[in-house]
Amino acid sequence: MCRPSTATAVLLLSALLAGGCSRNRSASGGGGAVVTLTYWTSTNRQEVALATELVGKWNRLHPKIQVRMQQLPVNQSTEEVIVAAVSAGTTPDICSNIWPGSVPEYARAGALVRLNQFADFDSLVRARMSEAAMAGFRSEDGNSYQIPWKTNPVMMIYNRQLFRRAGIANPPRTYSEYLADAGRLTFDENHDGVVDHWMGYRDVRPIWWQRFFDFYTLYCAAAGDRPIVEKGGVTADPQVCAEVFGFFAECFRNGFYPKTFFQFDPFIAGNVATEFVGPWTISYIKENYAGQIDYGIVPVPVPDSYRGPESTYGDHKCMVIFSTSRHPAEAWEFLKFLVNEEADLRLLQVASQIPVRRDIVWAPSYRSFFDANPDLRLFASQALTAREVGQSPDEKEIFDTISQVFEECSVYNRSTPNEAAAALLKRIGAILAWNR
Amino acid sequence: MMLRARSHGWLLSSPYLVYAAVFVVFPLAFSLYLVFHRWDGMAAPVFVGLGNLARLVQDPLFYRSILNTLEFLVIHIPLQIVFALLFAVALNSITWLRGFFRAVYFMPVVVSGVVVTILWQQLYSYDNGVLNTILTHLGLGRVPWVTSPALAMPSIALMATWKNVGLYTVMFLVGLQDIPAEMHEAARIDGATAVKRFLRITVPLLRPTMTLVVVLSTINGFSLFVEPYVMTGGGPLNSTLSTVLYIYNQGFYFGHLGYGAALGFVFALIILVVVLIQRKALESA
Repeated sequence: MCRPSTATAVLLLSALLAGGCSRNRSASGGGGAVVTLTYWTSTNRQEVALATELVGKWNRLHPKIQVRMQQLPVNQSTEEVIVAAVSAGTTPDICSNIWPGSVPEYARAGALVRLNQFADFDSLVRARMSEAAMAGFRSEDGNSYQIPWKTNPVMMIYNRQLFRRAGIANPPRTYSEYLADAGRLTFDENHDGVVDHWMGYRDVRPIWWQRFFDFYTLYCAAAGDRPIVEKGGVTADPQVCAEVFGFFAECFRNGFYPKTFFQFDPFIAGNVATEFVGPWTISYIKENYAGQIDYGIVPVPVPDSYRGPESTYGDHKCMVIFSTSRHPAEAWEFLKFLVNEEADLRLLQVASQIPVRRDIVWAPSYRSFFDANPDLRLFASQALTAREVGQSPDEKEIFDTISQVFEECSVYNRSTPNEAAAALLKRIGAILAWNR
Repeated sequence: MMLRARSHGWLLSSPYLVYAAVFVVFPLAFSLYLVFHRWDGMAAPVFVGLGNLARLVQDPLFYRSILNTLEFLVIHIPLQIVFALLFAVALNSITWLRGFFRAVYFMPVVVSGVVVTILWQQLYSYDNGVLNTILTHLGLGRVPWVTSPALAMPSIALMATWKNVGLYTVMFLVGLQDIPAEMHEAARIDGATAVKRFLRITVPLLRPTMTLVVVLSTINGFSLFVEPYVMTGGGPLNSTLSTVLYIYNQGFYFGHLGYGAALGFVFALIILVVVLIQRKALESA
């Protein structure tokens, strides 16, 4: 039998527990009380180690501003976690694993602190990147809600051993060279009638973010400064779109890329000769296959007629302060600490990831690291010109459309490259019109 | 005294009432509210009237996803029923290791759908899959199981049948055991062959089970999600884009929760109509 007094006691206990939990979220107060900030970091092992080290150091140096580090709650993607947290009002003070393409959505929802309100924002940004580069991270309302923290410029890794065996001295630079080499690097090694070595491999499933590492990387390399979408309008270069669609169409039509799904990395396994990768692949190879794979790294291929500078997709991650923070000024101080010269060096040393710094390649602080890791210097040199996705709130839907058109034209040859480019621009225009 | 008894009644049923209010009534009411709003899950919802429904009517991908789901059902349900019935009859007649075989057939049902899909991805892989390796060793050509727009959905239906057939086999087994043995006995004495007994006694007497199996597998089939999500992402060329996957993409990938809610409501109505027609047809057959 449940007496009312028992039920009341249970309710009171629940209320006390709930109150206790909510009070525990951020200890703060006036008059010299300790401010506690919550910092969400990525869940990968190296970044957790880096964050633990940096937070420990900060907490020792700043007894009045203590930071509590938490790994991002487990989910399919950081974006899903952040959307849920924004909706529930449970965002941390700072997060360092933000995809720039999602920032406009959060900013539109009023979930982010405008960083250009801080007096030293401009000087901090100028020290890290050029005005032109920063423009790509500014929201359409002209404000800045993110600090670009790190980048993983995409380059082409190639298997030197396979190239040597095929009698190819140098890796390809243009689409024609790539396709010519592909004919010699796609073969049936054990002569069982089934091709088991290919020039490259891309996941053919229409998954929007997969297109960052094929279509968009090659688009960035060939289109210079023309983003896909800017200021609410479609600005993509249809000629470049057609060339990129056409290049991949040749790869799939000739069987240089398999239409399959590998549960393992086919480059590591020696089944494909080239792959478009970020510096994470180098760290992975060094950690797990040191000395076992003879590889080289070069910029991604470009159309034969291309004469501009080298560029690529940057795969940046940014830091933001959420508007639920009760201590944005203190959060800004901590954010600056996370991107200072020493912290950036530790990012290189601990996580082998490239900090967004305009002096990264030649600054004395980083020279010895790059002397010991020449592969990463190649990625760092690409970082200076690497592009990011646009600052439209519809980036995911735009990339889903790219994925659909890529599949139609490049993978299944259902449209010509020119038709695909025209369809892409039209469909993106329709998305922008619907979401406006 | 009566008042006290009534309050105890409310107290005892309160866990269910709270559950229903939080997990059924509120989500349903909120979804209905979202049908008329644009909402990204973060900013305040914006009223758009019938805008989401107007978009839905003109959305070719929604119609495509409905057709894909129906294609899945048309292949999956008959396969499911035929194999489940065959397995049930076989399992009902064996006496040797009966428990073992029943467990074996039921095992895929309890394995996670994601795990099953990843395993089948390895079987179906075009260039290095187990099935195509066997076919090429037999001197036959490779089959583009999930990379051909024409074959991808049938391949998924085949995999889903393998995964779920155990559950429906158990249902048919229960139905078979309810059929009195004397009826078969009498028919046998009268000279009816095994096939005749199966068609004239077993199948008609299994009709209630059949109705249950058809309705359950229709509802489960309409909720097709894990298999295309993991295996094909809805491709190739949207040929495996199920309606639930499309709703998920709109709601959770692209942040169109209002449009996702509109799609969900219309889809629920379609399921209701199909199940009602199915029940009517099966009961009058």
